[in-house]
Amino acid sequence: MDTILELQGVSMSFGGLKAVDSLSFDVKKNEIVSVIGPNGSGKTTTFNVITGLYEPDSGDILLKGESVAGLRPDQVHDKGISRTFQSLRLFADMTVLDNVLVGMHSNTNGGLVASMLRLPSVRREEKAMRARAQEILAMFPGRFSGPRQGQPAYSLSYANRRRLEIARALASDPVLLLLDEPVAGMNPMESREVMEQIRALRDAGHTVLMIEHDMHVVGGVSDRVIAMDHGEKIAEGTYEQVANDPRVVEAYLGKRGADTAS
Amino acid sequence: MSLDHIVSVTIGGLTVGMIYALIALGYTMVYGVLKFINFAHGEVFTIGGYVAATTLFALGVKEGTSGPALAGALLAALVASVLAPVAVGFLIERIAYRPLRGRPRIIPLLSAIGVSIVMQQLIIIVFGPTPITMPTLPFATASVTIFGVEVRVLALVIIFGSLLLMGALTYLVRATRIGKAMRATSQDMEAAEMMGIDTNKTIAFTFVVGSALAGIGGLLVLMYYGSLKFDAGFLYGLKAFTGAVLGGIGNIPGAVVGALVLGMTETYGVSVDLGFLAWFVVAGLVLGLYVQMVRVPRRRLQHIAEDRRTPEYERSILNIYRLAPYYAVKTLLSERTDALLSVSAKHAVRLTLGNLFLVVTAAIMFANGSARIDTRWQPVIAFVVLMVILMFRPSGILGEHITEKV
Amino acid sequence: MATAFFERIRGVFARVPRRAYVAAALLVAVLFPVLNTFDVVQTAWIRVGVLSLLFVMLSLGLNIVMGETGLLNLGYIAFFAFGAYTTALLSSPKFGLQWPFIVLLVLSALIAMAAGFLIGLPTLRLRGDYLAIVTLAFGEIVRLTILNLQPLTNGPNGITGIYPPQPLGEAISKWLAGVGLPEAVTNWLVIDKPNEYYYLVLFCVGITAVLLSNLKNSRVGRAWNALREDELAAVSAGITASRAKLLSVVLSAGIAGFAGSLYAFYSNVISPESFIFMQSVIVVCMVVLGGMGSIPGVILGAIVLQALPQIIRESAGAARSEFEVYRMLIFGVIIVVMVIFRPEGLLPDKVWRREVHEEDPRELEMTRQSLFDLEEGEKDLEV
Repeated sequence: MDTILELQGVSMSFGGLKAVDSLSFDVKKNEIVSVIGPNGSGKTTTFNVITGLYEPDSGDILLKGESVAGLRPDQVHDKGISRTFQSLRLFADMTVLDNVLVGMHSNTNGGLVASMLRLPSVRREEKAMRARAQEILAMFPGRFSGPRQGQPAYSLSYANRRRLEIARALASDPVLLLLDEPVAGMNPMESREVMEQIRALRDAGHTVLMIEHDMHVVGGVSDRVIAMDHGEKIAEGTYEQVANDPRVVEAYLGKRGADTAS
Repeated sequence: MSLDHIVSVTIGGLTVGMIYALIALGYTMVYGVLKFINFAHGEVFTIGGYVAATTLFALGVKEGTSGPALAGALLAALVASVLAPVAVGFLIERIAYRPLRGRPRIIPLLSAIGVSIVMQQLIIIVFGPTPITMPTLPFATASVTIFGVEVRVLALVIIFGSLLLMGALTYLVRATRIGKAMRATSQDMEAAEMMGIDTNKTIAFTFVVGSALAGIGGLLVLMYYGSLKFDAGFLYGLKAFTGAVLGGIGNIPGAVVGALVLGMTETYGVSVDLGFLAWFVVAGLVLGLYVQMVRVPRRRLQHIAEDRRTPEYERSILNIYRLAPYYAVKTLLSERTDALLSVSAKHAVRLTLGNLFLVVTAAIMFANGSARIDTRWQPVIAFVVLMVILMFRPSGILGEHITEKV
Repeated sequence: MATAFFERIRGVFARVPRRAYVAAALLVAVLFPVLNTFDVVQTAWIRVGVLSLLFVMLSLGLNIVMGETGLLNLGYIAFFAFGAYTTALLSSPKFGLQWPFIVLLVLSALIAMAAGFLIGLPTLRLRGDYLAIVTLAFGEIVRLTILNLQPLTNGPNGITGIYPPQPLGEAISKWLAGVGLPEAVTNWLVIDKPNEYYYLVLFCVGITAVLLSNLKNSRVGRAWNALREDELAAVSAGITASRAKLLSVVLSAGIAGFAGSLYAFYSNVISPESFIFMQSVIVVCMVVLGGMGSIPGVILGAIVLQALPQIIRESAGAARSEFEVYRMLIFGVIIVVMVIFRPEGLLPDKVWRREVHEEDPRELEMTRQSLFDLEEGEKDLEV
């Protein structure tokens, strides 16, 4: 099986604090891997390092065998990694459709002069882009139909905003999709819907690395789960294995909780 | 390059530097609490000077005035030069800045620019477009001789008076309740509010103190040069701002250090031969090389995990900084085996180019050793310093006043 | 009752399609000089028109960096100066050169673009207010350099006697002049009358507006908007910030340079006085007043701030210098008032209108500051 992503001994410190400590794991093609852990365990920092927001102090990050550590975020995106954000970073004042179109930026190449002159090639590309964007939005059936596409993103409901961010990440047909808490703040029905969609993404050939706190979702879609605490990987395996790992229970519930559990 | 000349140039630099410092403190304090550049700050400096001059004239001060009458008038001028700017600064904050808090940064900045224009034009309307003058007084032009060098009395007044004011400010910020409130607000406004600090009042107070200092600066400049133009605030303000950024914006001692450095640079720049100045460039180069070859690699290696820290890796990191040119070329031409190292190669290139630039500059300056920068280029010096600092090290000499976010 | 009435009126205006307004405006613009030939409008007003159009072009250019990309530039007039001086030096008695018109237009734009590139490159990572100050400093350095490099630029005296342009080139114009065409046609071979300049500049402005309008709704324009909204998200979505920003700065500089060239030809005389900091502020004011990001908005802003003061001055009959002071005072007040009460401008761009009212409570949910905001102190191998 192809390895899409591999982290080798990645470490990242801020000042004196070691946010990520010699982290190593991999994600294989068509897998859904979840990263769990209590707050402050370094999950989002790991994402930030993978996507190039930070340069790791040591270690390497390989995407399909090619090192991407230290690349800029847009370069990492060009290599095929797209992400969503824990705190939702949509282009709030731009329309729904425009948000998705921005995601396609690196796959298209309408240049400055061609755009100014509205050459036929640019017009054709725009049309194709819009069609594709609508296709992607249709992945969430009924949520982004017709007039809603022209609405500003901030007018969407919270759940729709999360969906839109996923749509934007999909726009570039990424090799690896990084979802940072995709169902945060959603009710169980909405979470289940997103779960289905993540599964559908996997079936369609995508590879997903996900940070999540909602254990229903984690247990429901993950092929593998990685647990982190204080920047280190403390457990890895199937959901059942990791959920029952005493170290993991201790991380979440504290020592007493671990003792009670076992 | 006689010692006399150097001393007098230094005193000149310190004098103008102190004025810049008085104004810079206002910029830096407001930036500290609001993270906002008060573009209109320079204008309160002008207002201070204008109001002081008007007070002196209104009180009938003439060439012959002396003794208690003179002292009283000067005191009145001092008070006026504080009160007017304070009132203006307070009003501006209330009317033009407070309603815009929280908006995207471009908005308050535009407001500040607008306020600055309005104030300049109001000065012209009220006082006329010609520069305002001060009645000629003997003490303003008097000078003493210290160690054989002739020094203007006013220069000494400015230098020591400013030091006094800064001491008072330091006391205010360190030892009083309102000072603590200012420090708290500048570190974290939300937390300060939650601790019961009235941030609105604290911010208003910050503006008031800054304006007072700038106003006194205006009075001092009026006395030192005998006149003040309506647009003096623009140039002085920008230079003071440069000083504040140079020293690290948001940092109070930094503002003073930066302003003094700028004042000295500006004065030396046009008063001293290039050959002499070249030595400063050399000093900068040496300092830069030290930091680059010793401090940075040390810090860099600290961050690397133990297991990764093989002797070869250590050596290659050190090489990047010590043999920057050679390593830069070598890594760029060879295959990229480690993404981290190839990123460092970019830095090696940058370092090399930076060093090369300094060497070439020093060489050119030595070659033209006896030439001197004409005074017409003096304003450009400050602008160039401003651009260079903002482009290469916006955090300034003493570092930016931000808390570490983890 | 009154509000309902105004709402009705606003409704009527809103229903008129955009195209109709554009057509009407174009018609007025084109017919304006015709009124002059019939002595309905004085030549002085045509001159006001030309200057207004030049400022429209400047506003359109500044709109790209400020309105679309969200980068503040307080030294924009420097690019205008580059264009103007390039043309002036190469088509005047100063060095006795008279380069061809089209060549100078293009060259002026290119030189301004080079300047834009030089200032853009090192300032890419600068935050908004710092960028503003750096551009201000740059503008002043350019002006002071022009002022001090007297052997090259004549310093404060400026360059005079700039030769009027011959759009078809000297050779063709001379040939056509000899062929025996009616005077109405040959007049246009050399552009030296206000009416002729007016149409020349109007033509250039029209083309610029169309090109920029196309750009706004294209992939490039979207990238700029995304960068302006949330640079972190934009970069993570694959937009190369440095390239997009540089493109924006260079393009806007080019437009200013182009306008500068036209200005030099029209004005016949240029001096550093026309390129002071206040002029940069005025252009910023035009963009803000008209509506950042909105092409019709900035056009309106430019015309209002350039022509309106002249109209007021004529009707008030005030003295020139006295008026200047009040004009600037009102400018300042306008900036402050606009920014506080209607920062989106008179004819706002829809996206900007939402953006500037950001501290709206429902907006707070969409807070952009995450714990991992990289705006200040980016982690880097710096000293």
